[in-house]
Amino acid sequence: MLRSDPEKLIRKVMARFVDEEVIPVAREIDEKGEFPFDLFKKIADMGVLGIRYPKKVGGSGGNTTLYCIAMEELARGLLSLAAVTAMQCLMATNGLYLYGTKEMHEEYLRPALRGEKIGAFQLTEPEAGSDLSAVRTLATKASDGYVINGMKTWSTSGPYGDFHTVLCQTDPDKKLRGLMFFFIPTDTPGFSHSKKFETLGTRTSALSEIYFNNCHVPPEYMLGELGRGLDVLLTILAEIRIMTAALALGLHRAAMDDSIKYCKERVQFGKPIGKYQLIQAKIANMAVNLEAGRLMVDKVTHQIDNKISCLNEASMGKYFTVESACSATDEAMRIFGAYGYSMEYNVQRYYRDNRFLLYGGGTHEVLQTTIARQYLR
Amino acid sequence: MNIIVLIKQVPDTTDVKLDPKTGSLIREGVESIINPDDRHALEAAISLKKAEGGKVTVLSMGPPQTIDALSEAIGMGANEAILLSDSAFAGADTWSTSFTLGKSIEKIGGYDLIFCGRQAIDGDTAQIGPQVADYLHVPQVTYVFEIEKIQKKNIIVKKRLEDGYERVQCNLPALLTVIGELNVPRYPMVGRLIDACKEKSPIKIWNASDIGVQAKDVGLEGSFTQVIKTFAPKFKRQGEMLEGDAKKIAGTLVEKLKENKLI
Ligand SMILES: Cc1cc2nc3c(=O)[nH]c(=O)nc-3n(C[C@H](O)[C@H](O)[C@H](O)COP(=O)(O)OP(=O)(O)OC[C@H]3O[C@@H](n4cnc5c(N)ncnc54)[C@H](O)[C@@H]3O)c2cc1C
Ligand SMILES: Cc1cc2nc3c(=O)[nH]c(=O)nc-3n(C[C@H](O)[C@H](O)[C@H](O)COP(=O)(O)OP(=O)(O)OC[C@H]3O[C@@H](n4cnc5c(N)ncnc54)[C@H](O)[C@@H]3O)c2cc1C
Repeated sequence: MLRSDPEKLIRKVMARFVDEEVIPVAREIDEKGEFPFDLFKKIADMGVLGIRYPKKVGGSGGNTTLYCIAMEELARGLLSLAAVTAMQCLMATNGLYLYGTKEMHEEYLRPALRGEKIGAFQLTEPEAGSDLSAVRTLATKASDGYVINGMKTWSTSGPYGDFHTVLCQTDPDKKLRGLMFFFIPTDTPGFSHSKKFETLGTRTSALSEIYFNNCHVPPEYMLGELGRGLDVLLTILAEIRIMTAALALGLHRAAMDDSIKYCKERVQFGKPIGKYQLIQAKIANMAVNLEAGRLMVDKVTHQIDNKISCLNEASMGKYFTVESACSATDEAMRIFGAYGYSMEYNVQRYYRDNRFLLYGGGTHEVLQTTIARQYLR
Repeated sequence: MNIIVLIKQVPDTTDVKLDPKTGSLIREGVESIINPDDRHALEAAISLKKAEGGKVTVLSMGPPQTIDALSEAIGMGANEAILLSDSAFAGADTWSTSFTLGKSIEKIGGYDLIFCGRQAIDGDTAQIGPQVADYLHVPQVTYVFEIEKIQKKNIIVKKRLEDGYERVQCNLPALLTVIGELNVPRYPMVGRLIDACKEKSPIKIWNASDIGVQAKDVGLEGSFTQVIKTFAPKFKRQGEMLEGDAKKIAGTLVEKLKENKLI
């Protein structure tokens, strides 16, 4: 039976949305530095936030491949919008989806997939970045649930999130085995946050510290089985990494598209600069890296959809595509000459925004270490 | 309210390039899209259905890849779609296209309204809507930019004129061709798009025998006009768009004027 290919169809529709709705306003939004809730709602209205969840919980019945395609296209338009969307689709909601009760699904998951409630995901603490065993936020058992005390930092959507999936320590003696995720709505008494951080890039997404002062939560807000808390993270770690890679592909394409256009237009020494071989080398490298990164992302997303374990490939994919995007955004700045340095053009934003991709989903030093470990065992 | 929408898949460019040897369209590297006016026709039909009840059936004649336009229409909210695809339909002129579409609409039957775009960005004739209405013997209103009121037996719409508009009341069933001013088309829903790609999606594929026509009556054979030669008009003068901020543009402009010894 003749049918459309869903991957091509979703890409085409998302690309049109990004070309029509995001790209024309991206610079203005970035300059304002405020999260574009109106655009986020439009994305939600298309059912994108539920793209990787089944229909029975209010999702769109897609998969990881379609999710990553949609995120790549969004990142081509505005990375900070794509990053918050990507978090809403995955890290901010997956623990709730897997371990939340039916009531929690009704009250939080469905509204989140409609874009009416915003979720956040909190691992990082001042003393615990790459090293999660250092997490100190404490969850103490009480007669009717848990009491949370401590703080988190670098919380994406922290200042306006409606609910939070928070990594806490239930028993410091147990170290990693004591870690558990807790679901904490913003209206829980004792919850507060700091001012929004000033950052180099992805300036529309709001980051802050989050504080828990005797936050009381019912027992069902502990996500998953005691002793297996990190499953909430581990079951989606490959997906987080490859999604980050998809964001890098989108940003890479934005830098490359602008570079191609510019090097056909800009004339120096009587020729468009694209006629010079040193400029051609930059375009060629961008194209080759993009193609290679695409193949890695495509392979891993299909492995995830087919339930084939692929954490190592996902780490490689994140590492390679983000480094490639770093190179592409850097080269774009050079192709544009002084205009790359001007706030009038978008390449400066790609260059700034790109740095964000280096940290989330594992720093590249940590990724290189874990990749090498596969071979040096 | 049962509504039929006619949509055409077209290349995503108004700058159509022709192969100088064969005179046919160069389609490589150009994405196909739903004809822009037809997106407005779809939006009108879908929002009318939401308000009045009933269903929306989308119909398109074209090569197999036209399925993507129909999947997108389902994604926007159409209930079902029919792709008219048969090698016998190829090479149709507008008469033959309208005949094939008209036959198919007769087969669907039971409609209150037919929506078309005003004009396709590739063929550009704006003939299909009027010709289909003529074939079906239903009244037509073209250039519709507002649907004012819909009643059991008739509809009141506004039709754009060069220097104003006409307010027209028209009996149902009727055919309307619409322009972009009518509405803002919605984006498709991801979940509906995914479903449209599934085997059991509500998209049917009809060939010549499904609509009871013979090869000699459709496609190139059924066409009254024969294309002898297709060519791109030669541009004697070509415009150039300057980009950048006002200051940069002004600078470039002055340079160019000087270069051509105009100042
Ligand atoms: C824009 C942005 C948004 C963020 N959003 C969130 C969020 O929503 N939720 C959240 O929980 N966190 C978030 N983070 C935090 C992010 O996850 C952390 O930055 C990341 O985990 C790394 O931790 P760190 O920055 O403390 O670096 P550190 O772990 O302190 O690392 C510092 C340096 O040491 C290196 N290093 C560390 N350990 C090793 C090792 N074993 N071997 C070799 N080198 C090592 C690192 O690679 C790095 O170069 C966000 C960060 C940013 C920038
Ligand atoms: C494979 C192919 C071969 C062709 N060969 C020839 C040829 O040899 N000689 C020739 O003269 N022309 C040929 N054509 C052009 C064809 O006749 C016209 O494209 C067609 O009749 C529509 O006319 P138009 O594009 O001007 O549409 P318009 O009349 O401008 O379109 C108005 C509206 O009519 C509807 N509509 C138009 N076309 C379709 C469609 N196919 N299905 C459903 N709704 C539609 C849409 O709502 C559209 O907005 C060919 C087209 C195709 C696809």
